[in-house]
Amino acid sequence: MQFSQKAKEHIDSCRFCWMCHHVCPIGNATGLERNTARARALGLSLVARDAIEYSEDIINNVYECTLCGGCMTDCVTGWDPVMFAKEARLGAALDGKLPEYVMTMLKNFEEKGNIYGADRNENIPEIKGGDILFFLGEDARAKGCAKVAVDVLKAAGVEFTMLKDEPNSGYSMDFLLGAAAEAKTVMETCAKTLNGYKTVVCYDPADAKVMKREYKEYGVDMNAEVVTFTEFLAGLIKDGRLNVKNCGEEFTVQDSTILARDLEETEPIREILSACGNVNEMLLNREHTVLAGNLIMNEYMPDVMEKVAQRRWFNAENAPKKATTVVTSSVADYALLATTKPEDMELLKVEEVVAKCL
Amino acid sequence: MTDFLFDVIATELEDAVGKENCSTRSIDKITHSVDYFWLSRMWADRGLRMPEGDFIVAPKDAKETSAVLKIANYYKIPVTTWGAGGGTQGGAIPVCGGIVLDTKRMNKIYDVNEQGMYIECGTGSIYKHIEWAANERGYATMHYPSSLTCSTVGGFLAHRGIGVSSTKYGKIDDMVLQMEVVLPNGDIIETSPAPKHAAGPDLNQIFIGSEGTLGVMTKAQMRIYEQPESRQFRGFLFQNMTDAFNAGRELLQKFKPSVMRLYDEAETATLIKKIVGVEKKGAFMNVAIEGVKEMVELEKKILLETFAKYNAEDLGSEYGEKWWKEKITFFYPGHMMDIPQCFGTMDTIAPYDKIEKIYWAMKEAIETNFPQARFIAHFSHWYEWGCMIYDRFIVDGDKVPQDPHEAFRLHQEIWNCGVRTALANGGVVNDHHGVGIKLGRLMKEQYGPAMQVFEGIKKQLDPNGIMNPFKLGL
Ligand SMILES: Cc1cc2nc3c(=O)[nH]c(=O)nc-3n(C[C@H](O)[C@H](O)[C@H](O)COP(=O)(O)OP(=O)(O)OC[C@H]3O[C@@H](n4cnc5c(N)ncnc54)[C@H](O)[C@@H]3O)c2cc1C
Ligand code: SF4
Ligand code: SF4
Repeated sequence: MQFSQKAKEHIDSCRFCWMCHHVCPIGNATGLERNTARARALGLSLVARDAIEYSEDIINNVYECTLCGGCMTDCVTGWDPVMFAKEARLGAALDGKLPEYVMTMLKNFEEKGNIYGADRNENIPEIKGGDILFFLGEDARAKGCAKVAVDVLKAAGVEFTMLKDEPNSGYSMDFLLGAAAEAKTVMETCAKTLNGYKTVVCYDPADAKVMKREYKEYGVDMNAEVVTFTEFLAGLIKDGRLNVKNCGEEFTVQDSTILARDLEETEPIREILSACGNVNEMLLNREHTVLAGNLIMNEYMPDVMEKVAQRRWFNAENAPKKATTVVTSSVADYALLATTKPEDMELLKVEEVVAKCL
Repeated sequence: MTDFLFDVIATELEDAVGKENCSTRSIDKITHSVDYFWLSRMWADRGLRMPEGDFIVAPKDAKETSAVLKIANYYKIPVTTWGAGGGTQGGAIPVCGGIVLDTKRMNKIYDVNEQGMYIECGTGSIYKHIEWAANERGYATMHYPSSLTCSTVGGFLAHRGIGVSSTKYGKIDDMVLQMEVVLPNGDIIETSPAPKHAAGPDLNQIFIGSEGTLGVMTKAQMRIYEQPESRQFRGFLFQNMTDAFNAGRELLQKFKPSVMRLYDEAETATLIKKIVGVEKKGAFMNVAIEGVKEMVELEKKILLETFAKYNAEDLGSEYGEKWWKEKITFFYPGHMMDIPQCFGTMDTIAPYDKIEKIYWAMKEAIETNFPQARFIAHFSHWYEWGCMIYDRFIVDGDKVPQDPHEAFRLHQEIWNCGVRTALANGGVVNDHHGVGIKLGRLMKEQYGPAMQVFEGIKKQLDPNGIMNPFKLGL
């Protein structure tokens, strides 16, 4: 395994640092020391020194990171465990050492166009509209449902297109392989389709993230403007195209880590919820949010994902003022929170709140 | 151990804690072999493997912990308790192999008790998590070490830790009400329901500071406090340290600030200049006062009057506020000493009649015997009768031998010199980082025949000597 000079420097800085020990959603759920940025860095630093092999064990640990950026956000230095975890994944691919569960997902991708191996969902309609493309994304198509989102857009009179053969954004490939040629090819293919539109509204923050960040980083040509669904929705309310009534209910935001950290977007969802009711915050909110689930990792560590989601419910229950309804715009958070929801609490997608208040 | 016996023990441990919580994976062994101790870090930096545990187990509560200790006792295998590995003394390193018992699955917050003003939690909780639980209800733990995010409740108890607001709120041993402890033979006990009593010696205080050598603390009730109505900072510059000690002692006879920190000239000119921005020469002192607004105002008046008597220059509140904001920035890589430097914190404590003498003696001993080392210090935990020195030696990377054994030797020699000088002048082996494997050999030098009290307790509770061998000098 060959690390870049940059990755080596970051690994060596994190390997003996304990400062973000408390934030890792995986470490907190499993209680395992190896699920911390410093532990991952220590293992990789020994690999970089040829003191240990880049073995299955170390590689599995690299895939136990959700790339949620919790550690980085908490850190004052700028050392970047997400960067070196992604580089280590690329290294595993280049060395032909990918774990079996990753190989299975890649095979699914080749055969079905998504890592879950899901057949095309024939219930998702094709909509031919204007030059706004409503991009559902792999997770929503295979594991979620954006029907209410579509209804809300229609209610606002938005003319938009939704594709039957939507290309894959490359988010999952980037998650699994880092900056591999395969991930870039998927992104390039996607960008070619997207460039036929003026605006791309991403339902899933994960897709918006790769389009806004990784496409640029990997030199993928993308001309269309990328907007997150929450930002778009907040705009519709502000412009008066969606007339919502304040129903007086209290909503607690489960901020998507991708929106809050990678895209630095935290306010649109609050603007939407404030128009529909009141916002009751959890202690760890906005960029300090905690991941509630990752659907890719749910394929190979479902038990841990369940614990991760349960912990976030615990946070909501113990909010300074106990939460009653948790709202999220993250497809993955929603999916995992839904499977672990306590009986006395409610979980809603942001568009469901809007639909309720129309 | 034969492969056969290894499998026998592994399956028994899996039965005790669940298969997914008993690991023999190399990544788990490696991560539990390097803690915050300089020697373990240097070893790993040189591409060497530290001693590793054979089994890494994570029990979820006292019952599972008890099962693990019974197995360990039966097969007579060592058990090293691991909180978060943020300890600086190598206390959590499994130097004899065997079982590493990671407590972090015992991270349940059982109760935020607003009547009794405590949080009952598993000792594997990272302290910051119980701080969050307190904050959610509008309270605070007031235990603010720089490692609040790095270490567990059990780890702080085991090493007798301390935070920056100690002068007002106390050390960790003042903050605990009751504990649940699993003895080496697997018995589960509870200490007295209240800490202040006359029902014999204080059981809490036997296990606090015992560094995993006498059992495993599994549950604790930690105090919480009301958030202060007002918290104010004041920075001062003293012309010399004698004035600062006298001013501090006089102030503490009148009231207790929360934070009191005095930096020697060397730290003022380096760390404080870099992070807080104080450019002037002298010894910088930061004081925080907090509580009910009216009382804070009165205390501020007393503080200014007292310090003026000792010619302290009043630097206002700005530096102190900056210090509070940046107080943990000092500890991130790039802001803190790190490999390839060789360094250590030799914190010690003594009454005011000895403390300054200890400082100068240690400084002289280190700087003359090890001219390659720098010596810097601050004085961070103050009582009515004395205070502690947080003194550090730093050897820059180009002066540290590349050969790991030589680097090891240099490190040990500097430590021996520093701590023996502290002891000779009335100090102690350590103030709040504990003893571990780092300082075990010096315990007898401090305690002399008194050490037999510890040895007697150890022998009675842990006759097979399985609990954290070679730590604490036991
Ligand atoms: C950046 C940084 C800054 C620091 N600043 C401070 C500071 O300001 N104040 C301070 O006091 N310390 C400080 N420390 C030191 C460290 O945080 C403390 O020593 C802490 O007590 C270690 O706790 P841990 O959970 O990390 O324990 P570990 O390192 O895992 O273990 C320490 C010892 O405790 C024993 N132990 C752990 N849990 C239990 C248990 N439940 N029952 C019995 N024994 C147990 C272990 O066997 C070991 O001997 C700092 C450390 C770091 C990394
Ligand atoms: S990300 Fe920052 S806080 Fe976390 S291990 Fe690295 S340097 Fe330390
Ligand atoms: S990126 Fe997230 S999952 Fe990965 S180490 Fe950091 S906090 Fe943990």
